[in-house]
Amino acid sequence: MPLSTPPAPQSLQHAPGPQHRRPAVTATGLWRAYGSGEAQVVALRDVSVAFAAGRFTAIMGPSGSGKSTLMHCLAGLDTTDRGTVDIGGTIITGMGDKALTKLRRDKIGFIFQQFNLLPTLTAEENILLPASIAGAKADPAWISQIIRTLDLQERLTHKPTELSGGQQQRVACARALATRPEVIFADEPTGNLDTRSSGEVLRFLRKSVDDFGQTIVMVTHDPSAAAYADRVVFLADGQIVRDLDRPTADAVIDTMRGFENRVPLAGEAA
Amino acid sequence: MLRATLKGMASRKARLVLTSLAVVLGTMFVAAAMVLTATMEKSVSGVIADAYTGVDAVVTRDTDGGGMGGPGNPAAMAIPAATLEQIRATDGVDRADGAIEGQVKALGENGKLVGTFAPTIGLNWASGEGQGDYIELREGRGPEADGEVAVSAKFAADSGFTVGDTVTVYSDTVDLESAVAYEIVGVYGLSGDRDSLAGETQVAFSTGDAQRLLTGGEDVYTSVYVYGDAVDTDAIAAAVGNDFKVQTGEEASEAAAQGFAVVSDFMGYIFLGFGLVAVFVSIFLIINTFTIIVAQRQRELALLRAIGAGRGQVVRSVLAEALIIGTGASIIGLGLGLLLGWGLSEVVSATMMGGLPVQLLIPATTLWALAVGIGVTVLSALLPAVKASSVPPVAAMREAVNPPKPLRGITIAGAIVFLAGAVLLAFGLTDNLGGEELTGILVGVGIAFVGVTMLTPILSRPLVALLGAVMSWSFSGRLGKLNAGRNPRRTAITASALMIAVALITGIATLVSSIKSTTSEALDLNLNSDLIVSGAQGGASIPSFSPERVNEIRALPDVDEVGDVYADFFNTKVNGEEAALSSSSDLQAALAVFGGTVAEGSVADLAPDAVVVDEGTAKDRGVDVGDTVEVTFSDGTAEQLTIAAILEGYDLTNGWWVAPDQVQHFMVQKPMQAYIQVAEGADVAAVQDEVDEILKDEPEVGVTNNAEFVEQQTGGLDTILAAVQILLALAMIIAVIGVVNTLVLSVLERTRELGLLRAVGMTRGQVRRMITVESVIICVFGAVLGIAVGIGLGWTVQQALEEEGLHNFALPWGLIATYLVAAVVVGLLAAIAPAARAAKLNVLGAIAYE
Repeated sequence: MPLSTPPAPQSLQHAPGPQHRRPAVTATGLWRAYGSGEAQVVALRDVSVAFAAGRFTAIMGPSGSGKSTLMHCLAGLDTTDRGTVDIGGTIITGMGDKALTKLRRDKIGFIFQQFNLLPTLTAEENILLPASIAGAKADPAWISQIIRTLDLQERLTHKPTELSGGQQQRVACARALATRPEVIFADEPTGNLDTRSSGEVLRFLRKSVDDFGQTIVMVTHDPSAAAYADRVVFLADGQIVRDLDRPTADAVIDTMRGFENRVPLAGEAA
Repeated sequence: MLRATLKGMASRKARLVLTSLAVVLGTMFVAAAMVLTATMEKSVSGVIADAYTGVDAVVTRDTDGGGMGGPGNPAAMAIPAATLEQIRATDGVDRADGAIEGQVKALGENGKLVGTFAPTIGLNWASGEGQGDYIELREGRGPEADGEVAVSAKFAADSGFTVGDTVTVYSDTVDLESAVAYEIVGVYGLSGDRDSLAGETQVAFSTGDAQRLLTGGEDVYTSVYVYGDAVDTDAIAAAVGNDFKVQTGEEASEAAAQGFAVVSDFMGYIFLGFGLVAVFVSIFLIINTFTIIVAQRQRELALLRAIGAGRGQVVRSVLAEALIIGTGASIIGLGLGLLLGWGLSEVVSATMMGGLPVQLLIPATTLWALAVGIGVTVLSALLPAVKASSVPPVAAMREAVNPPKPLRGITIAGAIVFLAGAVLLAFGLTDNLGGEELTGILVGVGIAFVGVTMLTPILSRPLVALLGAVMSWSFSGRLGKLNAGRNPRRTAITASALMIAVALITGIATLVSSIKSTTSEALDLNLNSDLIVSGAQGGASIPSFSPERVNEIRALPDVDEVGDVYADFFNTKVNGEEAALSSSSDLQAALAVFGGTVAEGSVADLAPDAVVVDEGTAKDRGVDVGDTVEVTFSDGTAEQLTIAAILEGYDLTNGWWVAPDQVQHFMVQKPMQAYIQVAEGADVAAVQDEVDEILKDEPEVGVTNNAEFVEQQTGGLDTILAAVQILLALAMIIAVIGVVNTLVLSVLERTRELGLLRAVGMTRGQVRRMITVESVIICVFGAVLGIAVGIGLGWTVQQALEEEGLHNFALPWGLIATYLVAAVVVGLLAAIAPAARAAKLNVLGAIAYE
């Protein structure tokens, strides 16, 4: 990780974002705490954030900053104590398990850090998994386009154990994209990959935003990964502390370093 | 290490319970069997000892160690009155009572025989001391003159008679025609307020009446009970001579108890058998559970090894867990087994032994059940333990991916074992084992069984794929199928437990259906009869009826032919070799009804010195028409008879047929069966009613149509089959626990997968369906294998018994279908808890699960 790279000029990072775009995901006044009493940990404190459609947003922050919790709440995997999450015009907070499941199936794509694929299914079957679960037929033209883009043609009949880590993550990307979801949530998608494979996966995510207009929200702690995004949202101590448009790796590192040197106080939001 | 083991166990309580349950059930059955046997033996001895209380010696006729001496020959059993006097005159004898005991037949209020399953005992009423102690009059008095009887309370209850009624009693020596009615003057119970000693009914006569019925009217006794403080058995033996056996009261009591213990021993063996089957099935369950537990603990064990634990310590850690589970479960099983054994003893004595008071006895050998339970658990855990210890620590600490082991080794070994069993079996079936055929067949079946079990993993691949194809109409079904085929060894072991239970049931069911098919084929194809007069099988003595009835039936307008059969088979011989003898009042008519034909010679108007034999027997004996053979009847008469004809046909015509004139030498000189051919076009049911009317005064027999006859002949088999099914259902329960266990552990193992599936949109219902399909596939796979093996088993036994007359092999299709349906139901039930657990998984927690 090029932590020693000198920071890029700050001014370049603050190009105005396309805020006019329709938000794909909106969180308003999110609170989430775990445990109770003395042992209570507040993971999210009054977080409000919108993620524009057709953009690639990275969520960053130090360990325990609440970035994973935020993503889980946005994706309907975790419940919130207060506040609302809106995905594509649907308020998902307060939904029952059935409705949430259906929402995840139809409107959300997931890429996890590891264990993304079912070992019993081939790569192709894994790509078609959400459609199969829904009992729906995936658009063949779309699927073959994704497969071509990810260069998975030769791997379709392979089982996950026969694929490299990078190939597995590419299959996971294809699966996430297969249903053309409203938004793809990627949780440290390159966390387990070497630099080359990381680059492949990130370039594909970038490409799917640029070419297909896909909305992606990615949690990462890797500044160079975050540099692929259109925007970086920094979380610390359960709050959004900085919002960076058109980030470079160096700008991200600088920002991160700022957090390390100066523990943010409550109320110090960007 | 022990601390780590205990803590590990505490964190896996559900798994502990499931594994323990299997051990509990196995131990429970073994212990219950032992308690039942010992308790019944003690209770029976207790009762018998009661009957012999105060008796100092018993004198009986020494039957020369040759068994029963023969019911047809009461004189051989008798003690003459003179011998009784000799005994009375011996020093030290205060009193000696001549007793007459034997089987009689009595007609109940409904005109049918009293006591179908247990015999009716006739005896002479001994007033005063001795026997009087255990006979307790409840009503009226004892018989004081000829023509009076007292009956046991069970007799009164079974017959419907009470004091003041008259009862007709006859015996082998006094037949129904010359039987007289006796007035019931008293009803008695037996000491301890019992209605019956062990299920039998009793009628007590005056000594004269008892002798008329049981000793042919001679002044003889069947045994002599001797009383006196200074009784010396040697002195009595010297006084009476070599023809008699003199036993002390205790000896006689023990000998009598042994005879009664047969029933409870039989029950005990059955339960022990099922206990052992249960234990055997548990082995699979325990191996599977420990394999999975160990696989899950792989990282933990690797960590232990990495920080310095030796291989031996890892093995010991797993074995310690097994020992703790085995001991705990065995103790619980033992406790429950004692209760079950006690309960069963109460049930057996209440239903089969006429309310025998149960004297609970827990034999020391019951502790073996404990040893079996602990031993099986520890041994079953050994293999997984050793495997666990052989994993290099570094490999185990990496990602816990267990690539499925290749099946080649176990498949080759299984094939070799199976072939070895099959070869042994083949030699046994083709009589090539020099007299050890039966052992060979049994051992061969056992070895083949083990071989099949080893082959189950390789069989699971195609079979699971096939079964899965049927069930993968939905995507969750397809995933379930894939999961079931994922670990062939685990699926196979889980299904094997079910296979064993189903194989045993199917084997027995196949045998029963083969017997039924053989019996009904014999009737349907070869018999031209429509109705059959016969007695119920399993009765206390040989049922027969008056020859007059045959003539009356023949006279019915709608009856074409009647073939009656007399039989003699007690010590009967042809040329010195044992052979059953038959006769018919009209052999020609009988042959027409039986569908037999005369191959050579003639059977018309059989002369007294003529004999007829079937083709097969003639060939075996190397005799032909015109040859002379020596025929010995059960009354001891031997005659030279000339073969007049050779018969061809089916089983009913087999054997030696003598002329009607020879029936006088038979033990039962009345027909036992009659086969009736109804006229073409006549209403069989109407004729059956007419015959029924003719037989209304014949207590021992009834008339049935062919289907009813087959049912009557094979009805007992259905009862046995039902009992076996119930008991094996318990083995099934253990197998089902195994399925539940495997599923629960699989769900745990696949937590992250389930989390992923839920995250990408699988509903809870779909998750449940997925697990359920996996469960149903495993169960149906086990059932299919079990049915296949069971059919093989049934076929083997049928082949082995072919020479004994079991010609047909018939599959119990209905039952097979039932077992398959049951397997599906079992699969559905077994999946309930694991599926619910899988569906309830927290998505986030599952994704993050390590």
